[in-house]
Amino acid sequence: MKRRHAIVAGLAAGVMASAGVLAAAARTAPNPQPYGRPIGPAMASDTGAGELLIAVVGGVFDDRREAEAANEAVSFGDLQGYYVVPIAQFQGFRQQVGEPGEFALVSVFRTEEGANAFVELAAAFGNEASILPERVRSLGGLYAGLGQEANPDGLGPLLGPVMESLP
Amino acid sequence: MRKGSRGDKVVRSLGIALPIAIVLPLIAAFHWGQLGWRDLHANYPSRPSGYTQIVNRFGQPCNAEARAISMRWKAADNGVTYWFSFHRKLGGRPTAMVSDKGGRSTNLDNDVYGHIQNAHLQPYVEHGIYGYACRAKRNSNEWSTHAFGIAIDVSSAEDYMGKCTSTVNKRHAPIWQNHNWYWGLAFCDPMHFQYATNY
Repeated sequence: MKRRHAIVAGLAAGVMASAGVLAAAARTAPNPQPYGRPIGPAMASDTGAGELLIAVVGGVFDDRREAEAANEAVSFGDLQGYYVVPIAQFQGFRQQVGEPGEFALVSVFRTEEGANAFVELAAAFGNEASILPERVRSLGGLYAGLGQEANPDGLGPLLGPVMESLP
Repeated sequence: MRKGSRGDKVVRSLGIALPIAIVLPLIAAFHWGQLGWRDLHANYPSRPSGYTQIVNRFGQPCNAEARAISMRWKAADNGVTYWFSFHRKLGGRPTAMVSDKGGRSTNLDNDVYGHIQNAHLQPYVEHGIYGYACRAKRNSNEWSTHAFGIAIDVSSAEDYMGKCTSTVNKRHAPIWQNHNWYWGLAFCDPMHFQYATNY
């Protein structure tokens, strides 16, 4: 009788120890990531140097201070709208805007869909937005919003060049 | 005898007034119900906490699901009808009041919207109503919850970002909160409701 008790107690202890080990192992297992490793929360400040980009323009100004003041007055709610950048960082920009100035409110895109979506967003907030007729070549410089458009594959943001943006 | 007839009149008046007083508000309160609206709470996703959980539950920012469902909402103050998109997991499932949009739950377009209408709080939904946008947070390089289609701005001109009190959204905020939405008033953005915390 005592022997039977000892066996039962031993088995119970063994099962409990196994359950403990399994629970501990499960607790340290990584969380499943059905959509892949998270991109962000911070986005890379991609300038698309050398690429041909579509520029959406909200205004052109003589100097940075003026441009920044204008950008402060443009509301996109709790979203980031335009970026203040020197015009000289985009080859072909100055020729297309048709007005003098050194700094502009800009957001750049690799796809027409991305640019059009931003124009719609700007319009919804009652802001001016015009797409330059020709793509401009990025010479690097300051971040101007690149990457904030959907990838045509539908899985996330577009984080690299597409055929149309390659020179 | 005179006393009795006055009493009879009072009783008769009460007999008419009481049922009206009881029945009319009930009819008014349940007219949406009579049209078929029900607060269904069907298939809500659990609310994620932090960036990694948001991605694991709703996908990467700007993914196609984040803008798969759309709805219209008319602002009470200027009469403008806003059209905006949001995540497939947060609405678009067919109900008596919502057509089949291929969505997975009844959260936003049936339950939250319907509840606000049914509670007669639509007059407190003012202009500036926005949903999905593939953008960063203002003055930041971090993805906005709008990029996941899990954030809605309501009455954004009145309850604008930076205001640490609410004038109109406070009337219907409890309805959003009862349906798993977190109110941005906590971080001085009273127009903002998001289906996530700690981000």
